[in-house]
Amino acid sequence: MARRLPVYLVLDTSGSMMGEPIAAVETGVQTLVSALRQDPYALETAYLSIITFDSNAKQIVPLTELTAFQMPSISANGLTSLGDALKLLANKIDSEVAKTTAEVKGDWKPLVFIMTDGGPTDDWKKGLAEFQKRKTGMVVACAAGQGADTNVLKQITECVVQLDTADSSTIKAFFKWVSASVSTGSQKVDSGNEVVGIGELPPPPPEVNIVV
Amino acid sequence: METIKKYLEEKGLDDSQIKDFLETHSKEIKQFIDELLEKQLPKPDEDVPYSEVIKEEVQTSEITTTEENPTQIEENQKMQATDNQQQTDMPKVFDSGVQPDKEKAKNDALAFQIKNKQITFLNGKVNQPYEIDFDFETLEMPEIAEVSFEKLEDIGLLYFPEEKKIKGTPTQAGDHKIEMKFKRNDWEEGKPLLTREVVFIINPDPRVLWSKNIPTPEDIEYYKPDSDKIFVKVESKKNMVAASQRGRSHAIEGKPRDDDFALYYDEQTEWYVMVVADGAGSAKYSRKGSQIACQKALEICKAKLLDNKDVFDKNREQENRNEIGKILQGIIGSAVFEAYKAIEQEAQEKNTPTKDYATTLLLTLCKKFDYGWFVGAWWVGDGGIGIYRQDPQYMKVLGEPDGGEFAGQTRFLTMPEIIQNELYTRIRFDVVEDFTALILMTDGITDPKFETDANLNRIEKWNELWADLDGKNEDNIKVDFTDNNEQSADQLLKWLDFWSKGNHDDRTIAILF
Repeated sequence: MARRLPVYLVLDTSGSMMGEPIAAVETGVQTLVSALRQDPYALETAYLSIITFDSNAKQIVPLTELTAFQMPSISANGLTSLGDALKLLANKIDSEVAKTTAEVKGDWKPLVFIMTDGGPTDDWKKGLAEFQKRKTGMVVACAAGQGADTNVLKQITECVVQLDTADSSTIKAFFKWVSASVSTGSQKVDSGNEVVGIGELPPPPPEVNIVV
Repeated sequence: METIKKYLEEKGLDDSQIKDFLETHSKEIKQFIDELLEKQLPKPDEDVPYSEVIKEEVQTSEITTTEENPTQIEENQKMQATDNQQQTDMPKVFDSGVQPDKEKAKNDALAFQIKNKQITFLNGKVNQPYEIDFDFETLEMPEIAEVSFEKLEDIGLLYFPEEKKIKGTPTQAGDHKIEMKFKRNDWEEGKPLLTREVVFIINPDPRVLWSKNIPTPEDIEYYKPDSDKIFVKVESKKNMVAASQRGRSHAIEGKPRDDDFALYYDEQTEWYVMVVADGAGSAKYSRKGSQIACQKALEICKAKLLDNKDVFDKNREQENRNEIGKILQGIIGSAVFEAYKAIEQEAQEKNTPTKDYATTLLLTLCKKFDYGWFVGAWWVGDGGIGIYRQDPQYMKVLGEPDGGEFAGQTRFLTMPEIIQNELYTRIRFDVVEDFTALILMTDGITDPKFETDANLNRIEKWNELWADLDGKNEDNIKVDFTDNNEQSADQLLKWLDFWSKGNHDDRTIAILF
C-alpha cells in the first residue's frame, strides 16, 4: 500500500453562497474529481474529504479514495463559522491522517484548500489555533469574490488567492486550478517530495489572483 | 432566499441581523416548508389541481416567503402562471382526450419528486465485474410501477428488475450520465415516461493509465538505456545477477532511468563486488550521479582488492578476521570517497551544484574464507541491503535505511556531511557460514515489497520476497536461481515489471546467489 495524499476541501456554504456560487462549487468539485481520476498519480494516491461550513461545520465526505468518491449535493444557508471549520479540520486530520513511524508507513502531509466568500462570524482565532497545531502540507485559502476577508485568510496561510467575482465561470476556473494543483502534489510525492510553496503549484488562471 | 433577504432588508435589518434571523429561525422555516410540502404533495390517485402542484417547482427556500411576504408570493404565482401559460402552449406529448391538465399536474408532481430523490450508484471500474443491488421500491414512490435505464448497456451494464440488481462489466471510464425512466403504475401505451439523469462513475484501470511507455530520447544529456541487466557467471561458485528497470512514472513521460548498478567478480582475489545506486528524482542529473557512483566505487574496489591480494591470501584463518576487516574498511572508505569526489568533479566541469547529481549508494564486498563468507557493506539513502538464508533461517540487514519521519527525505552520497562524518560509521560487516542470497535493492523494490523500514528486519518479509522471486506472484514470473543460469538476468528484468498500486519508481536489484 503506497502512501496516501490526503486532500481536504473546506467549503463555505453560508447563505451568501446561495444560488449560482453554491451550484458552481458543487459542479466544480465533480469536475475536479473527474479530472483527477484520469491522472494515474492522483488516482492511486489522492484521498479527498469535503468539509462544509455555514452556521456549523460538517464533514460531508470523510477522507475517501478517489475511485469511491461521490459528491453529495450541497445547499447554502446560515452563517460563516470558519473557526468551527478549522477546528473540525484539525480533528479530522488527527483521526484520518496516519503518521509515519518505523512500524507504519504513514500518509503524506495533507493538502488543504479553503474557500469562503465572507468574513467569519464565529471565534475563528480559536479554531485557527487548533488547526495550527497540526502538520499540514500546502494550505491554500481562496477568497471568493470581494466580500471575503483576505486579512483573516492571510493569518491562516501565506497562500491566499482571490476570485474577482464568485460567478460560476470563475469558481469553475478555481477548481480546475485546484485539480491541477492536486495532480502536481501527487506527482511530487511520487518522486519523494512535497509541495511547500505556492510557487510549486501550477500558475493560477487569470481569474484567480494571488494575494500578496 | 433572495426574496426573504429583500423582505428583511425592507424591515430594516442589516446583513448580519439578516444572517442571525435566518440562523435562529432555520428550524421553523424548515418545519414550515415540510408542512407546506406535506399539504401540497399529491397523494396517489388523488386529483390535484395544476395550479397547486406547480408550486412544488418553486425552490423550497422561496416557499418560506409565504409566511412573511404575501405580496411576494402573489408575484411568484404570477410568474408561475406565465410559466404555466408557456408550458401549456407547448405541444402536448400525451394522448388527447382525458383531462390533459390533470394528467400533466400528476406528472409534474411526480417529476418534482423524482428530481429531488437522492439516487446514487456505487462507482465501478473498467473491465471489472460490477454488481449492485438496486430495488426501486426503496425510493418510496408508490405511484411508480417500473423503472428502466436508457442505454445502460452502452457502458456495459444491465438492469435486472426481477433480481433487483444492476450487473455487468463496465467498458468505458468516465462519469456516465444515464437517463433513468419511471413508469407510472397507471401507465398505458402511448403515454410518456418520466425521466431524470443519474450518474454512473466508472473509474479507469490504472494499469491502462500507466501503460504508456515513451522511450527516453537518446539525444538527452547523459542518456542511458531504459533498462539494463547483467549475469556474472563464476565457475563452480556463487553467481551474480542484476537488473534495472525504468519506473512507470518515468516511462509515461519519456524521462530517463535514474537508477544504476555495477557488478564485478575479481578472479585473482575471489572478491564479489556489487554496487546499486538510486539517483534522486528531484535532481536533474541524478541519472549520471548514480552511474558515476557505481562505476567509480567499483573501479576503486577493483584496484584496492588487487593491491591487497597477498594479505587476503595469507589471512584465511578465523583469527585474522580483524585484519581483513581493517583492509576492507579502507577499501570501502576510499571507494565511497572517490565516488563522491568523481561526482563533485563532474559537477564542477559542468558548472552546476553537486546536488544536481544526488544519488543513494549501496555497496557490498563479499568473499568466501575457510571460516565462512565475509561481507562488508556501505549504504546511504533508502533501499536496502540484506543477507538472507532460507534454511536454516537467517537474515541480516547491513545498515539502516535513511527514511526519517517524513517520507522522501532521504540522505544522499552527494551530501558533504555524509562524507565528512559518516564515511566509516556506515560500514557494516557480517561473517556467515553460508547464505541463499545477498541482495541489494533500491526503494523501487523495498517500498512495494517491504513497505516499512521496520519490515526490512522481519525475516517473513525476506521469505516472501524470495518466494516472490521464485514465481509466487500474480504474473507467475519466476527467476531461476539454479547454478549458471544465464537466463536469470532476463527473468529478473521481467520480474521487475511487477504491479504494485502507487509504486512506479525505478527498480534495481542485484543478487549474489
